[in-house]
Amino acid sequence: MLKMEHVRKNYKSFSLNCSLEVKSGYVTGLIGKNGAGKSTIFKIILGLITKDSGRISLFDKDIQITDDQDKQNLGVVLSDSGFSGYLSINDIVPVLEHLYEHFDKSAFLKQIQRFGLPQNQKIKEFSTGMKAKLKIITAISHNAKFLLLDEPTAGLDVTARDELLDMLREFMEQDETRSILISSHVSTDLETLCDDLYMIHEGNIIFHEDTDVLLSDYALLKITPQQYSDIDKRYILKSKIENYGYRCLTNQKQYYLENYPKITIENGTIDQVITMMSGGAEI
Amino acid sequence: MKGLLIKDLKLLKVQKNFFLLILCIAIGTAIFANNTSVSFVIGFLSFVGTLFTLSSISYDEFDNGNAFLFSLPITRKSYVAEKYGFGMILGGSFWVFGTLIVILKEIIANKYVSMDTIIAAFIILPIVFVVLAVMMPFQLKFGGEKGRIAIICALMIVFITGIIITKIANALQINLSSIFNQIAALNKSILILAIIVVTFLVLFLSYRISLSIMKKKEF
Repeated sequence: MLKMEHVRKNYKSFSLNCSLEVKSGYVTGLIGKNGAGKSTIFKIILGLITKDSGRISLFDKDIQITDDQDKQNLGVVLSDSGFSGYLSINDIVPVLEHLYEHFDKSAFLKQIQRFGLPQNQKIKEFSTGMKAKLKIITAISHNAKFLLLDEPTAGLDVTARDELLDMLREFMEQDETRSILISSHVSTDLETLCDDLYMIHEGNIIFHEDTDVLLSDYALLKITPQQYSDIDKRYILKSKIENYGYRCLTNQKQYYLENYPKITIENGTIDQVITMMSGGAEI
Repeated sequence: MKGLLIKDLKLLKVQKNFFLLILCIAIGTAIFANNTSVSFVIGFLSFVGTLFTLSSISYDEFDNGNAFLFSLPITRKSYVAEKYGFGMILGGSFWVFGTLIVILKEIIANKYVSMDTIIAAFIILPIVFVVLAVMMPFQLKFGGEKGRIAIICALMIVFITGIIITKIANALQINLSSIFNQIAALNKSILILAIIVVTFLVLFLSYRISLSIMKKKEF
C-alpha cells in the first residue's frame, strides 16, 4: 500500500530520515513524542511538503505520479488542519459529493446523527471531540482504500477515543484489503488497534515490531549491579542505570523467565519500550 | 473544481449581510446621486464581487486549512484555476447587477439609456479583471496581511515607474498625451478588441505566475 525508503527532509533544527511500509490489510501505528516527525511523514506522503531525497510509492506507484484519482482512494485526518471553521456540516456535504466519486452521503449523515453532531452549526463552534469525530467520519465516507490518520484522537477523553477507534475497526472489517497508517503519542490507542508499530524519535525510525510480538516477547528486567554483571546480555536491547541497579529491555522475555527466575521481570508495554528505545544505552 | 466552487459559494454565504449592505449602498448611490455615479456603482459592485475571491484564499489559509484542502482530490492547478474562475464569475455577476441598477435608474429618470453608460460599463469590466490579475499572485504568495503590504509596495513601484517614464519622455521630448489621444481616437471596435485581448493576456500571465507560486508552496 505504502512504502517509504530512506526518505529525508532537512530543516534548520530538524532532520527526518524515514523508511517504513504499510502492507495491504494492515493497521500500522506510528508512535513518537510531539515534534518527533510524525506529521512531517504524513505531509510528505500527501505531497504537502517536498522530500529532499528517498523514494515513496503509494498504491504501487511512485508518489511523483500519483494524481487526483489516487487521492480518491485516500482518507485523511490531519492533526492541525480541517475544513474551514466557517462552514457547517450541511455546507461540506455538497462539497464532498462533488469532490469524491464514491462519497456515500447517506452513510455520512447516518454517522453524523449517530454521534449527535449538529449539522447547521459552524465547525469552529464545535468542541475538540466533535471536530475529531467529523474528521474521521469525513475520511471514511468515500470508500477509501487507505486511511492516513495523523493524531486523530488528540485532545479526546477516553470515551470519545474508544468511539473513534471502534469506527476505525468497523471500517477495517468492511474490506480486508483496506489499510491504515495512524499516528499517536497515546500508546494505548495503538496497542489495541495496530498490527504493527513504528517508533519515531528525533526524526529517525528507531523501532519496528508486530504489536503481538511486542506485547508477548518484550519485557523489562529490573536487576541489581551483581545480577547485571552475571546475566546473559545477548538478548538485551537497551539498558538504563537506576538507583537499584539496571533496567534492561529485552525481546526474549521467555528466555530470561526460564533461566533467571530470581530477577524481576515486567511485561513490556509500548510506553516502556519507547522510553527505553529513545533513552536507554545500547549494550 | 465544482466542489471547490461550491465551497467558496458557501463561504460567500457567510458574508451575506456584508454583501446585502454593499448592494444597498450601490442602489442608494444610484438613486440619490447624479449621473457621474454611474461608473462608481458598477465599479464598486464589480470590485467588491471579484475581490471576494481573495478573501476566500484567506478563509482557506485560516487555521492551516490549506493542508487539509490539498489532501482532498484537488490539484494545485485546479485550485488556482478555480480561484480565477470564481473571481471572474463573481466580478461578472456583480457587474451585471451594477449595470442593471444603473440602466434601470436611467430608464426611470431619463426614459432612455445613454451610450456613455454602456461604454463605461464595458470599460470597467476589463479593469476589474486586470486588478484581479494583479492582486491574485500577491495574495497567493504573501497571504492576507502581508499580501496587502506587498500590493501597496507594488502600486508604489508602478507609480514611481510611471513618473520615471514621464521624466524620460520629457527628456527625449516625446509627447505622451498625444500618444494617448491617438490611441483613444482609434476605431472603437478595434480598441475594445485590443482591451479584451490585453485583459486576457494579463489574466493568463497572472494565472501562470500564480500557478508557479502555488506549486512551490508547502503546507
